[in-house]
Amino acid sequence: MNELAQPILMYVACALGAIGVAMALPRHKPGIALLGGLVAAAGFGAGVLALFLAAEDSSLLPSLFFYVFALLALGAGLRMVTHPRPVYSALYFILTIIASSGLYVLLSAEFMAFALIIIYAGAIIITYLFVIMLATQAPTEEDEESLYTYDTEAREPIWSSAVGFIILAALTAMLFRGAGELPVPSGSGDSQAILAQMPGKVERELRRSGVIGKEASVATEHGVAVIEQGGVRLGDGSVVPLPVGLEPSNVEELGFNLLAEHPMTIEIAGVILLMAMLGAVVLARRQVDLEEAAKARQARTLGQEVGDA
Amino acid sequence: MLELVLCQAGYPEPMASVTLAHYLVLSAAMFVLGLVGFITRRNLIIMFLCTELMFQAAGLALIAFSRYHLNLDGQTFVIFVLTVAAAEAAMALALVVLLFRRRESLSSEEWAELKG
Repeated sequence: MNELAQPILMYVACALGAIGVAMALPRHKPGIALLGGLVAAAGFGAGVLALFLAAEDSSLLPSLFFYVFALLALGAGLRMVTHPRPVYSALYFILTIIASSGLYVLLSAEFMAFALIIIYAGAIIITYLFVIMLATQAPTEEDEESLYTYDTEAREPIWSSAVGFIILAALTAMLFRGAGELPVPSGSGDSQAILAQMPGKVERELRRSGVIGKEASVATEHGVAVIEQGGVRLGDGSVVPLPVGLEPSNVEELGFNLLAEHPMTIEIAGVILLMAMLGAVVLARRQVDLEEAAKARQARTLGQEVGDA
Repeated sequence: MLELVLCQAGYPEPMASVTLAHYLVLSAAMFVLGLVGFITRRNLIIMFLCTELMFQAAGLALIAFSRYHLNLDGQTFVIFVLTVAAAEAAMALALVVLLFRRRESLSSEEWAELKG
Protein backbone atom coordinates (compact mmCIF):
# COMPACT_ATOMS: atom_id res chain seq x y z
CA MET A 1 0.00 0.00 0.00
CA ASN A 2 2.71 2.40 1.04
CA GLU A 3 4.77 1.54 -2.02
CA LEU A 4 1.87 2.73 -4.19
CA ALA A 5 0.71 5.69 -2.07
CA GLN A 6 4.12 7.22 -1.48
CA PRO A 7 5.13 8.05 -5.08
CA ILE A 8 1.59 9.18 -5.95
CA LEU A 9 1.58 11.50 -2.93
CA MET A 10 4.98 12.84 -3.97
CA TYR A 11 3.67 13.61 -7.47
CA VAL A 12 0.61 15.28 -5.94
CA ALA A 13 2.97 17.38 -3.80
CA CYS A 14 4.95 18.39 -6.91
CA ALA A 15 1.76 19.30 -8.79
CA LEU A 16 0.44 21.36 -5.86
CA GLY A 17 3.82 23.07 -5.57
CA ALA A 18 3.81 23.90 -9.28
CA ILE A 19 0.28 25.34 -9.12
CA GLY A 20 1.11 27.29 -5.99
CA VAL A 21 4.33 28.77 -7.39
CA ALA A 22 2.64 29.64 -10.69
CA MET A 23 -0.14 31.44 -8.80
CA ALA A 24 2.22 33.19 -6.40
CA LEU A 25 4.49 34.61 -9.10
CA PRO A 26 3.86 38.34 -9.67
CA ARG A 27 1.37 39.20 -12.42
CA HIS A 28 -1.16 41.87 -13.45
CA LYS A 29 -4.07 40.76 -11.34
CA PRO A 30 -3.36 40.97 -7.61
CA GLY A 31 -5.09 38.76 -5.10
CA ILE A 32 -4.18 35.21 -6.07
CA ALA A 33 -0.63 35.35 -4.68
CA LEU A 34 -1.83 34.51 -1.16
CA LEU A 35 -3.94 31.66 -2.50
CA GLY A 36 -0.87 30.43 -4.38
CA GLY A 37 1.11 30.44 -1.15
CA LEU A 38 -1.59 28.35 0.52
CA VAL A 39 -1.60 25.85 -2.36
CA ALA A 40 2.20 25.63 -2.17
CA ALA A 41 1.95 25.05 1.60
CA ALA A 42 -0.52 22.23 0.91
CA GLY A 43 2.05 20.83 -1.51
CA PHE A 44 4.69 20.98 1.24
CA GLY A 45 2.31 19.10 3.57
CA ALA A 46 1.71 16.42 0.94
CA GLY A 47 5.48 16.11 0.43
CA VAL A 48 6.06 15.68 4.17
CA LEU A 49 3.35 13.02 4.29
CA ALA A 50 5.00 11.21 1.37
CA LEU A 51 8.32 11.33 3.23
CA PHE A 52 6.62 9.91 6.34
CA LEU A 53 5.27 7.02 4.27
CA ALA A 54 8.76 6.36 2.91
CA ALA A 55 10.10 5.41 6.37
CA GLU A 56 9.27 1.91 7.58
CA ASP A 57 10.20 2.90 11.13
CA SER A 58 9.39 6.27 12.67
CA SER A 59 12.65 6.21 14.64
CA LEU A 60 14.54 6.55 11.35
CA LEU A 61 12.90 9.87 10.55
CA PRO A 62 14.90 13.08 10.99
CA SER A 63 14.11 15.24 13.98
CA LEU A 64 11.13 17.56 14.24
CA PHE A 65 13.46 20.52 13.70
CA PHE A 66 14.15 19.28 10.17
CA TYR A 67 10.52 19.91 9.21
CA VAL A 68 10.51 23.33 10.87
CA PHE A 69 13.67 24.43 9.08
CA ALA A 70 12.53 22.88 5.80
CA LEU A 71 9.23 24.78 5.96
CA LEU A 72 11.11 28.00 6.77
CA ALA A 73 13.62 27.51 3.96
CA LEU A 74 11.03 26.68 1.32
CA GLY A 75 8.53 29.30 2.47
CA ALA A 76 11.15 32.05 2.53
CA GLY A 77 12.51 30.78 -0.80
CA LEU A 78 9.03 30.96 -2.35
CA ARG A 79 8.53 34.49 -1.04
CA MET A 80 11.98 35.45 -2.31
CA VAL A 81 11.24 34.16 -5.79
CA THR A 82 7.80 35.77 -5.95
CA HIS A 83 8.22 39.10 -4.15
CA PRO A 84 7.93 42.07 -6.54
CA ARG A 85 10.38 44.20 -4.52
CA PRO A 86 14.06 43.21 -4.83
CA VAL A 87 14.95 44.41 -1.30
CA TYR A 88 12.35 42.12 0.25
CA SER A 89 13.59 39.28 -1.95
CA ALA A 90 17.10 39.74 -0.55
CA LEU A 91 15.80 39.85 3.02
CA TYR A 92 13.73 36.69 2.52
CA PHE A 93 16.86 35.06 1.14
CA ILE A 94 18.58 35.79 4.48
CA LEU A 95 15.74 33.85 6.14
CA THR A 96 16.43 30.94 3.77
CA ILE A 97 20.12 31.12 4.71
CA ILE A 98 19.34 31.01 8.42
CA ALA A 99 17.02 28.04 7.94
CA SER A 100 19.63 26.15 5.94
CA SER A 101 22.31 26.87 8.50
CA GLY A 102 19.93 25.33 11.05
CA LEU A 103 19.79 22.27 8.81
CA TYR A 104 23.62 22.25 8.69
CA VAL A 105 23.69 22.17 12.51
CA LEU A 106 21.29 19.20 12.41
CA LEU A 107 23.76 17.54 10.04
CA SER A 108 26.64 18.14 12.53
CA ALA A 109 28.36 20.67 10.27
CA GLU A 110 28.68 23.43 12.87
CA PHE A 111 31.57 25.23 11.22
CA MET A 112 29.81 25.41 7.87
CA ALA A 113 26.61 26.61 9.57
CA PHE A 114 28.37 29.62 11.07
CA ALA A 115 30.46 30.22 7.96
CA LEU A 116 27.25 30.23 5.92
CA ILE A 117 25.65 32.92 8.08
CA ILE A 118 28.82 35.03 8.19
CA ILE A 119 29.58 34.79 4.47
CA TYR A 120 26.07 34.83 3.01
CA ALA A 121 24.02 36.93 5.39
CA GLY A 122 26.96 39.07 6.41
CA ALA A 123 28.74 39.69 3.14
CA ILE A 124 27.01 38.51 -0.02
CA ILE A 125 23.48 39.70 0.77
CA ILE A 126 24.81 43.04 1.99
CA THR A 127 26.51 43.42 -1.40
CA TYR A 128 23.21 42.61 -3.08
CA LEU A 129 21.39 45.16 -0.94
CA PHE A 130 23.93 47.84 -1.81
CA VAL A 131 23.58 47.09 -5.52
CA ILE A 132 19.78 47.14 -5.25
CA MET A 133 20.05 50.58 -3.66
CA LEU A 134 22.53 51.76 -6.31
CA ALA A 135 20.54 50.43 -9.23
CA THR A 136 17.12 51.78 -8.36
CA GLN A 137 15.76 55.08 -9.56
CA ALA A 138 14.51 57.37 -6.82
CA PRO A 139 10.71 57.22 -6.58
CA THR A 140 8.94 60.26 -7.93
CA GLU A 141 7.03 62.43 -5.48
CA GLU A 142 3.51 61.61 -6.67
CA ASP A 143 4.10 57.85 -6.93
CA GLU A 144 6.17 56.59 -4.02
CA GLU A 145 4.93 53.00 -4.27
CA SER A 146 6.00 52.68 -7.88
CA LEU A 147 6.99 49.22 -9.06
CA TYR A 148 8.57 48.48 -12.40
CA THR A 149 6.66 46.33 -14.84
CA TYR A 150 9.61 43.97 -15.08
CA ASP A 151 9.21 43.34 -11.36
CA THR A 152 5.44 42.97 -11.32
CA GLU A 153 5.05 40.67 -14.32
CA ALA A 154 6.70 37.29 -14.40
CA ARG A 155 7.71 35.81 -17.73
CA GLU A 156 5.77 32.61 -18.60
CA PRO A 157 4.92 31.67 -14.98
CA ILE A 158 2.74 28.66 -15.84
CA TRP A 159 5.05 26.94 -18.27
CA SER A 160 8.22 27.43 -16.28
CA SER A 161 6.58 26.22 -13.04
CA ALA A 162 5.26 23.17 -14.84
CA VAL A 163 8.67 22.36 -16.34
CA GLY A 164 10.49 23.04 -13.04
CA PHE A 165 8.24 20.81 -11.01
CA ILE A 166 8.32 18.03 -13.61
CA ILE A 167 12.09 18.09 -13.04
CA LEU A 168 11.42 17.97 -9.29
CA ALA A 169 9.07 14.98 -9.68
CA ALA A 170 11.67 13.11 -11.73
CA LEU A 171 14.41 13.99 -9.24
CA THR A 172 12.45 12.86 -6.18
CA ALA A 173 11.43 9.61 -7.87
CA MET A 174 15.08 8.87 -8.63
CA LEU A 175 16.25 10.03 -5.18
CA PHE A 176 14.07 7.53 -3.34
CA ARG A 177 15.24 4.69 -5.51
CA GLY A 178 18.89 5.77 -5.24
CA ALA A 179 19.00 6.56 -1.53
CA GLY A 180 17.61 3.14 -0.69
CA GLU A 181 20.38 1.43 -2.65
CA LEU A 182 23.27 3.33 -1.08
CA PRO A 183 25.62 1.19 1.00
CA VAL A 184 25.15 1.63 4.74
CA PRO A 185 28.14 3.66 5.97
CA SER A 186 30.50 1.83 8.28
CA GLY A 187 30.87 3.45 11.70
CA SER A 188 32.87 6.55 12.45
CA GLY A 189 35.76 7.82 10.41
CA ASP A 190 39.43 7.77 11.35
CA SER A 191 39.15 9.92 14.46
CA GLN A 192 42.27 8.37 16.09
CA ALA A 193 44.53 9.57 13.28
CA ILE A 194 43.21 13.11 13.76
CA LEU A 195 43.66 12.90 17.54
CA ALA A 196 47.26 11.77 17.00
CA GLN A 197 47.83 15.05 15.17
CA MET A 198 46.80 16.95 18.28
CA PRO A 199 49.06 15.73 21.14
CA GLY A 200 48.34 18.88 23.14
CA LYS A 201 44.60 18.22 23.20
CA VAL A 202 45.12 14.56 24.17
CA GLU A 203 47.56 15.57 26.92
CA ARG A 204 45.19 18.17 28.32
CA GLU A 205 42.31 15.68 28.34
CA LEU A 206 44.48 13.02 30.05
CA ARG A 207 45.58 15.52 32.72
CA ARG A 208 42.02 16.69 33.29
CA SER A 209 40.76 13.14 33.81
CA GLY A 210 43.68 12.47 36.17
CA VAL A 211 45.17 9.59 34.16
CA ILE A 212 48.60 11.25 34.05
CA GLY A 213 50.24 13.67 36.48
CA LYS A 214 51.50 17.20 35.87
CA GLU A 215 55.05 16.17 34.94
CA ALA A 216 54.14 13.34 32.52
CA SER A 217 53.73 14.20 28.84
CA VAL A 218 52.62 12.55 25.60
CA ALA A 219 55.46 11.27 23.40
CA THR A 220 55.58 12.83 19.95
CA GLU A 221 57.41 12.01 16.74
CA HIS A 222 57.61 15.01 14.41
CA GLY A 223 54.80 16.64 16.35
CA VAL A 224 52.47 13.63 16.05
CA ALA A 225 51.45 11.60 19.10
CA VAL A 226 52.32 7.90 18.92
CA ILE A 227 49.21 5.73 19.04
CA GLU A 228 49.85 2.04 19.68
CA GLN A 229 47.67 -0.81 20.90
CA GLY A 230 44.64 1.47 21.20
CA GLY A 231 46.48 3.81 23.57
CA VAL A 232 48.82 6.73 23.46
CA ARG A 233 52.51 6.44 24.39
CA LEU A 234 53.81 8.72 27.11
CA GLY A 235 57.26 10.31 27.42
CA ASP A 236 58.53 7.54 29.74
CA GLY A 237 57.54 4.80 27.29
CA SER A 238 54.39 3.57 29.04
CA VAL A 239 51.09 3.38 27.14
CA VAL A 240 47.80 4.72 28.52
CA PRO A 241 44.43 4.25 26.81
CA LEU A 242 42.91 7.23 25.05
CA PRO A 243 40.29 9.05 27.13
CA VAL A 244 36.80 7.70 26.53
CA GLY A 245 34.59 9.98 24.47
CA LEU A 246 37.46 12.14 23.28
CA GLU A 247 36.52 13.04 19.72
CA PRO A 248 37.95 15.74 17.47
CA SER A 249 35.44 18.54 17.03
CA ASN A 250 33.91 19.40 13.68
CA VAL A 251 36.20 22.41 13.24
CA GLU A 252 39.32 20.32 13.96
CA GLU A 253 38.27 17.55 11.62
CA LEU A 254 37.35 20.00 8.88
CA GLY A 255 40.62 21.86 9.33
CA PHE A 256 42.68 18.70 8.96
CA ASN A 257 40.58 17.60 6.00
CA LEU A 258 40.98 20.96 4.30
CA LEU A 259 44.68 21.52 4.93
CA ALA A 260 46.07 17.98 4.93
CA GLU A 261 43.99 16.30 2.24
CA HIS A 262 42.88 19.15 -0.03
CA PRO A 263 45.55 21.87 0.16
CA MET A 264 44.99 22.61 -3.53
CA THR A 265 41.39 23.63 -2.78
CA ILE A 266 42.60 26.61 -0.77
CA GLU A 267 45.00 27.65 -3.51
CA ILE A 268 42.30 27.46 -6.17
CA ALA A 269 39.81 29.28 -3.94
CA GLY A 270 42.36 32.01 -3.36
CA VAL A 271 43.01 32.38 -7.10
CA ILE A 272 39.26 32.53 -7.80
CA LEU A 273 38.76 35.23 -5.18
CA LEU A 274 41.74 37.18 -6.51
CA MET A 275 40.37 36.98 -10.05
CA ALA A 276 36.94 38.12 -8.86
CA MET A 277 38.52 41.03 -7.02
CA LEU A 278 40.59 42.05 -10.05
CA GLY A 279 37.57 41.71 -12.30
CA ALA A 280 35.41 43.82 -10.00
CA VAL A 281 38.16 46.47 -9.83
CA VAL A 282 38.49 46.53 -13.62
CA LEU A 283 34.73 46.88 -14.08
CA ALA A 284 34.51 49.56 -11.41
CA ARG A 285 37.41 51.52 -12.97
CA ARG A 286 35.64 51.57 -16.32
CA GLN A 287 32.67 53.11 -14.54
CA VAL A 288 34.87 55.85 -13.01
CA ASP A 289 36.24 56.66 -16.48
CA LEU A 290 32.71 57.02 -17.83
CA GLU A 291 31.79 59.29 -14.98
CA GLU A 292 34.88 61.43 -15.60
CA ALA A 293 33.88 61.76 -19.26
CA ALA A 294 30.34 62.68 -18.31
CA LYS A 295 31.65 65.21 -15.81
CA ALA A 296 33.92 66.76 -18.47
CA ARG A 297 30.99 66.99 -20.88
CA GLN A 298 28.82 68.59 -18.21
CA ALA A 299 31.60 71.07 -17.35
CA ARG A 300 31.93 71.96 -21.05
CA THR A 301 28.17 72.59 -21.50
CA LEU A 302 28.06 74.60 -18.27
CA GLY A 303 31.01 76.70 -19.46
CA GLN A 304 29.22 77.29 -22.77
CA GLU A 305 26.06 78.39 -20.96
CA VAL A 306 28.04 80.74 -18.78
CA GLY A 307 29.83 82.05 -21.87
CA ASP A 308 26.51 82.59 -23.70
CA ALA A 309 25.14 84.53 -20.77
CA MET B 1 3.75 5.34 13.06
CA LEU B 2 3.76 9.11 12.72
CA GLU B 3 5.47 9.62 16.06
CA LEU B 4 7.99 12.44 15.77
CA VAL B 5 11.53 12.21 17.06
CA LEU B 6 13.23 15.21 18.58
CA CYS B 7 16.84 14.36 17.75
CA GLN B 8 18.45 12.39 14.98
CA ALA B 9 21.55 10.21 15.22
CA GLY B 10 24.53 12.00 16.82
CA TYR B 11 27.61 12.69 14.76
CA PRO B 12 29.74 9.54 14.67
CA GLU B 13 26.66 7.31 14.44
CA PRO B 14 25.53 6.51 10.91
CA MET B 15 22.44 8.29 9.61
CA ALA B 16 19.49 6.39 8.12
CA SER B 17 19.16 6.53 4.34
CA VAL B 18 15.55 7.72 4.76
CA THR B 19 16.89 10.79 6.56
CA LEU B 20 19.32 11.35 3.71
CA ALA B 21 16.38 11.14 1.28
CA HIS B 22 14.56 13.84 3.29
CA TYR B 23 17.48 16.23 2.93
CA LEU B 24 17.91 15.41 -0.75
CA VAL B 25 14.23 16.05 -1.49
CA LEU B 26 14.44 19.39 0.33
CA SER B 27 17.57 20.25 -1.62
CA ALA B 28 15.89 19.34 -4.92
CA ALA B 29 12.85 21.46 -4.02
CA MET B 30 15.05 24.46 -3.19
CA PHE B 31 16.97 24.00 -6.43
CA VAL B 32 13.77 23.87 -8.49
CA LEU B 33 12.43 26.95 -6.72
CA GLY B 34 15.61 28.81 -7.66
CA LEU B 35 15.39 27.49 -11.23
CA VAL B 36 11.77 28.61 -11.65
CA GLY B 37 12.68 32.00 -10.25
CA PHE B 38 15.63 32.31 -12.59
CA ILE B 39 13.46 31.56 -15.60
CA THR B 40 10.43 33.66 -14.69
CA ARG B 41 11.76 36.80 -13.05
CA ARG B 42 12.89 39.62 -15.31
CA ASN B 43 14.89 41.66 -12.80
CA LEU B 44 18.62 40.97 -13.23
CA ILE B 45 19.34 41.20 -9.48
CA ILE B 46 16.58 38.75 -8.56
CA MET B 47 17.82 36.37 -11.25
CA PHE B 48 21.24 36.35 -9.57
CA LEU B 49 19.61 35.89 -6.15
CA CYS B 50 17.88 32.82 -7.57
CA THR B 51 21.24 31.38 -8.63
CA GLU B 52 22.36 31.86 -5.02
CA LEU B 53 19.33 29.81 -3.95
CA MET B 54 20.47 27.06 -6.31
CA PHE B 55 23.99 27.21 -4.80
CA GLN B 56 22.37 26.83 -1.38
CA ALA B 57 20.49 23.74 -2.51
CA ALA B 58 23.67 22.16 -3.89
CA GLY B 59 25.50 22.92 -0.64
CA LEU B 60 22.75 21.29 1.40
CA ALA B 61 22.95 18.12 -0.71
CA LEU B 62 26.76 18.05 -0.31
CA ILE B 63 26.56 18.43 3.47
CA ALA B 64 23.84 15.78 3.74
CA PHE B 65 25.97 13.30 1.77
CA SER B 66 29.01 14.24 3.84
CA ARG B 67 27.04 13.44 7.01
CA TYR B 68 25.70 10.18 5.58
CA HIS B 69 29.10 8.88 4.54
CA LEU B 70 30.84 10.37 7.61
CA ASN B 71 33.34 11.89 5.23
CA LEU B 72 34.27 15.55 5.54
CA ASP B 73 35.21 16.03 1.87
CA GLY B 74 31.66 17.24 1.28
CA GLN B 75 32.02 20.06 3.80
CA THR B 76 35.38 21.03 2.30
CA PHE B 77 33.66 21.27 -1.06
CA VAL B 78 30.94 23.49 0.39
CA ILE B 79 33.68 25.95 1.40
CA PHE B 80 34.65 25.92 -2.27
CA VAL B 81 31.02 26.51 -3.29
CA LEU B 82 30.85 29.49 -0.92
CA THR B 83 34.02 30.91 -2.50
CA VAL B 84 32.56 30.58 -5.98
CA ALA B 85 29.29 32.15 -4.80
CA ALA B 86 31.15 35.12 -3.34
CA ALA B 87 33.23 35.58 -6.49
CA GLU B 88 30.12 35.26 -8.65
CA ALA B 89 28.27 37.83 -6.56
CA ALA B 90 31.13 40.35 -6.82
CA MET B 91 31.53 39.99 -10.60
CA ALA B 92 27.84 39.70 -11.46
CA LEU B 93 26.84 42.68 -9.36
CA ALA B 94 29.60 44.84 -10.85
CA LEU B 95 28.25 43.90 -14.29
CA VAL B 96 24.67 44.62 -13.22
CA VAL B 97 25.64 48.08 -12.03
CA LEU B 98 27.41 48.74 -15.33
CA LEU B 99 24.39 47.55 -17.32
CA PHE B 100 22.06 49.67 -15.18
CA ARG B 101 24.16 52.79 -15.82
CA ARG B 102 23.84 52.18 -19.57
CA ARG B 103 20.07 51.71 -19.86
CA GLU B 104 18.68 52.97 -16.53
CA SER B 105 16.75 49.71 -16.16
CA LEU B 106 17.29 46.31 -14.54
CA SER B 107 15.02 44.47 -16.95
CA SER B 108 16.72 41.50 -18.57
CA GLU B 109 14.73 42.11 -21.74
CA GLU B 110 16.54 45.41 -22.26
CA TRP B 111 19.55 43.31 -23.17
CA ALA B 112 17.78 40.77 -25.37
CA GLU B 113 20.19 41.52 -28.22
CA LEU B 114 23.00 39.90 -26.20
CA LYS B 115 21.51 36.45 -26.86
CA GLY B 116 23.41 36.45 -30.14
